[in-house]
Amino acid sequence: MDSPKEKPAHPTYRPAHPTTQPAVSSSEAPGLIDQLTHEDVDRARDRWRVTRARLRERRSKLFGWLPLFWLLIGPGVLVFLGENDAPSMLSYSATGARFGVGFFIPFIVLTFVMGYVVQEMTVRLGAVTHRGHAELIFDRFGRFWGLFAMGDLILGNFLTLVTEFIGVRAGLSFFGIRPGIAVGGALVLVLVVITTGRYWTWERITLGLAIFNALFIPAAILAHPDWSAVGHALLTWTPLPGGNHYEILVLILSDIGATVTPWMLFFQQSAAVDKGMQPRDIRAGRFDTLLGASLASVFAIATVLATVPLFHHGIDASQFQTAEFAQALEPWIGHTGAALFALGIFEAGIVAAIAISTSSAYAFGEVLQTGHSLNRSLREAWPFYIVLLGSAGAAAALVLIPNVSLEFIVLTVNVIAVLAMPPALVFLLLLVNDRELMGEHVNGKWANIAGVTVTVLLICAGITFGIATVFPKWMGG
Amino acid sequence: MKSGKSRTGANPPELETIGADPERPNLNDPRAVLAVLETDQVVAQKSRTRFGRRKFSFALKALLWSLRAYVVLMLVIVVIAVFRALHALH
Repeated sequence: MDSPKEKPAHPTYRPAHPTTQPAVSSSEAPGLIDQLTHEDVDRARDRWRVTRARLRERRSKLFGWLPLFWLLIGPGVLVFLGENDAPSMLSYSATGARFGVGFFIPFIVLTFVMGYVVQEMTVRLGAVTHRGHAELIFDRFGRFWGLFAMGDLILGNFLTLVTEFIGVRAGLSFFGIRPGIAVGGALVLVLVVITTGRYWTWERITLGLAIFNALFIPAAILAHPDWSAVGHALLTWTPLPGGNHYEILVLILSDIGATVTPWMLFFQQSAAVDKGMQPRDIRAGRFDTLLGASLASVFAIATVLATVPLFHHGIDASQFQTAEFAQALEPWIGHTGAALFALGIFEAGIVAAIAISTSSAYAFGEVLQTGHSLNRSLREAWPFYIVLLGSAGAAAALVLIPNVSLEFIVLTVNVIAVLAMPPALVFLLLLVNDRELMGEHVNGKWANIAGVTVTVLLICAGITFGIATVFPKWMGG
Repeated sequence: MKSGKSRTGANPPELETIGADPERPNLNDPRAVLAVLETDQVVAQKSRTRFGRRKFSFALKALLWSLRAYVVLMLVIVVIAVFRALHALH
């Protein structure tokens, strides 16, 4: 099978419309037969397994859906557990230590509802158009607006990647591992995971790593939370946080930024495309996204609960570095609990480093029209892998600079993520409402209401942050 | 959109087209590859077709520009916040 040219001299521009028929029955089939690539064959192998699982699902009454579920979960769970990253966990830790159980518990659940609303749209876009988010923005809005969107993404991704390696370094420092070894080892792990040359293998390994996000649950249980207070907070959103309003506002923005960020949009859509999802998989994609959001919200709340003892004992966590949370918690949750917490921070950093660097590489490949699939080997798609490893390597190197104020960096990065989100959401809403592109899968009324509400909320939060920064006395700062 | 189920409840239509056995697909046969991929999923097809530009109304342009201004303004505010925090530390 020959390899097709990456950049045809004269691509055909055609009115956008979804093409959902099997390639074999299309008029282009004879021309495509000689141009199939290794990437196509790998994707077809994954699709055959889905087709087989669908047939078995029809034959089996009980649990017949399980194999299909196993094959189709992935991008949604990965994106949400990936976003439960080192800065997010630090943000949740700071929230629990500063305010205890109260308003922020249901607020965190709300942020994941917002996250589900926007991520579900990327599943539909990917499954229907088979194009990544960056590629669609460049195609439909042109190079000028595409470059702006890419600029926001690349800046945000790089800053976030730095914070992921901060998490890796800090998490492993609890066990006495030196920064150079921790960060270098994490880079090697990223390299090993991406060099499998198969999207499916990459996805399963990363999912296997991501499930260790659950380490925050035993850490929370060891903190002996007051479950009735948790239930009360979930139902009543009280007690409300008190004290410095500016500090509360930064934590609110940071907690939103811990759940809704631009890289997630780009990553999940590209991953859905690389996985080979089709319109008939949208329902499974929604479930995958809902499962990811649910798991991530439980783990996020567990992180808040694990650090509540610091609140009850009046310990000032405002100057903590990431690992210091684990050390400070040791008297109350024991060495095992603290070790679990530190391992959780390490896991959060490494999984997000893999996901975010992959998101940057997908976007670069889509925009430059070079190979951009984890189904391609290093030799076939070297620019894709160079961007992936280069961004991770540069971020890792920055983290090794001594005496950097780590907690300040991670909270700031989360705030920047929130501020960059409204334009990304508007592009998303325009794309997902584009009937030429999406056909019958355009947004419905309620999805649009939810999407616009999330966008307006984020803009209002950003403007409030701006006012509070410029006029701190208005907010008691 | 095709549902993926044939009316007889047997193989999905794309498999019936090429007479393939879903239990043992022969992926050396290009038709078996094309049977389960949609046209736009094939790399060669994707690289030779692009979606055209959408039309921009005045309102859409105004929205995009105002959001761009918002991001620039907010980044300036973040720089102010960082500067203040660093100043307070020292």
